Amino acid sequence: MFEIVIGLEVHAQLNTKTKIFCSCPTSFNEHQNSNTCPTCLALPGALPVLNKEAVNKAMMFGHAVNATINEKSIFNRKNYFYPDNPKAYQISQFDVAIVEDGELMIDFEDGSSKRVGITRAHLEEDAGKNTHEANHSKVDLNRCGTPLLEIVSEPDMRSAEEAVLYLKKLHSIVRYLDISDANMQEGSFRCDVNISIRPEGQEEFGTRVEVKNMNSFKFINQAINYEVNRQIEAYEDGVYEQEVVQETRLFNTDTGETRSMRGKEESADYRYFPDPDLLPLIVTKADIEKAGNIPELPDEKKQRYIDELGIRAYDATVICADKAVANYFDEVLECGVSAKNAVNYLTNELNGLLNKEGLTIHESPIDAQKLGAIIKNLEDDTINGKGAKKLLEFLMGEQTEVDAAIEKLGLKQVSDDGAILAIIDEVLSNNEDKVEEYKGGKEKLFGFFVGQVMKASRGSANPAKVNELLREKLG
Amino acid sequence: MEIDIEKLEKLSNLKVQNKEEIAHQLQDILEYVENLGELDTDAIESTFSTLEGGTPVREDVPVHSGVAQDVLKQAPNAQDDYFIVPNIIE
Repeated sequence: MFEIVIGLEVHAQLNTKTKIFCSCPTSFNEHQNSNTCPTCLALPGALPVLNKEAVNKAMMFGHAVNATINEKSIFNRKNYFYPDNPKAYQISQFDVAIVEDGELMIDFEDGSSKRVGITRAHLEEDAGKNTHEANHSKVDLNRCGTPLLEIVSEPDMRSAEEAVLYLKKLHSIVRYLDISDANMQEGSFRCDVNISIRPEGQEEFGTRVEVKNMNSFKFINQAINYEVNRQIEAYEDGVYEQEVVQETRLFNTDTGETRSMRGKEESADYRYFPDPDLLPLIVTKADIEKAGNIPELPDEKKQRYIDELGIRAYDATVICADKAVANYFDEVLECGVSAKNAVNYLTNELNGLLNKEGLTIHESPIDAQKLGAIIKNLEDDTINGKGAKKLLEFLMGEQTEVDAAIEKLGLKQVSDDGAILAIIDEVLSNNEDKVEEYKGGKEKLFGFFVGQVMKASRGSANPAKVNELLREKLG
Repeated sequence: MEIDIEKLEKLSNLKVQNKEEIAHQLQDILEYVENLGELDTDAIESTFSTLEGGTPVREDVPVHSGVAQDVLKQAPNAQDDYFIVPNIIE
């Protein structure tokens, strides 16, 4: 048997308004090369000046993962030639990172959890974007200089599942902190995975392979599984030394395989040295303390939901995993509905409908106020559960106010004793034979009468009231 | 320390004409500073800068520099406001 050892490096783009070392805007999807200036274009004589907000966001992250925040950290130059970076070096914290020695907890579905260490988180700059065409490459430097926080984990994860749980938790934390948009499709949250195997019981790590630039949880899962199988097979075939070498590999999303990118490794001699253009980054104890004023984090929110609202741990985990969902849930609660109904209608009913349409909570045609209004109508007996579901389905495709929709669909339930009694009388007189049988001891028929009354009211009668009045009538 | 001129050429993206002479000169420079290695610096905190204080910081306020068009015009090759470079083989 083999043990799988995984460590992750995550690059989170910090959502500052400007780049890390110049005042160019960081806005996404701008016209190519419009967000550039002498500094990020590396024109001679232009000097970098550090963005205060990038430092602040890095420190917020440090607090969130219970890390040490260094009062002094160092910017180095990492040298390489590639047209996405006109300086021919990337400024990155190498000798001393601003954040060191943190941790986060990952939660398993069975309720257990595990600590994953965070080695360090350091500030650096992103590169530009190249588009490759048949006989040349096009360079857009808008992204060049966007602040990144590179978050390096300890090699603490032992399966693809754990790696994905770690990433999801990290993703959730940076979103709660609002330090990064962490949009995986747009590339503002990307991940390099380090994978090795070792025979169970062996102390030393196996040879580590790095799979670069993954931007979906699904692909990360696939890439890890592929790489683990490749390494185990090589071990079992006795060719581990030859086939598993320390290298960078790329994941092919079409084939689900990883392949070596050896060419690049050869020149990877980055010759790090302290950037003479930047003095050490010094933050005061007061700066560090001030950055500790961070919003409620997913784990805290989850605990509060469990303690204060009596929500099941699993439901709380589901709601808190995504800040947008948690905010939506809070808004529904503000409508004055019960937590139990809010959980059920959000995580089961609405979520089911959204999944079917492939929509996120942001894109939901039913906003929190509307869902709150639907639950309100259910709770004051204006509509029944069946009606609430019909209403939800209707409002997914129709931009109508809740009250108008209830009217239109005729969902208002009849709770008025007189009206229901009239229907009951009619049903009973139409089924005198069954009434006799019931009175003769065939009690199962009670359900039949309820059904008939509901049918005669076209679903509008309050089922609880129907039950109650029928019992009185039939004695 | 052995000077590997070919590797240095690759790392610096420069072509050196008379390799032997340059290697010799670099070797001399290295020897000149080699005696620094004799100092025992174990107990001394690393010095990253000889200047006092920390790097200045600025507020996070966007400014459009407006230089892009001028720079693109000076580029050896540009098209549709992209810089054009020889094909990069991934």
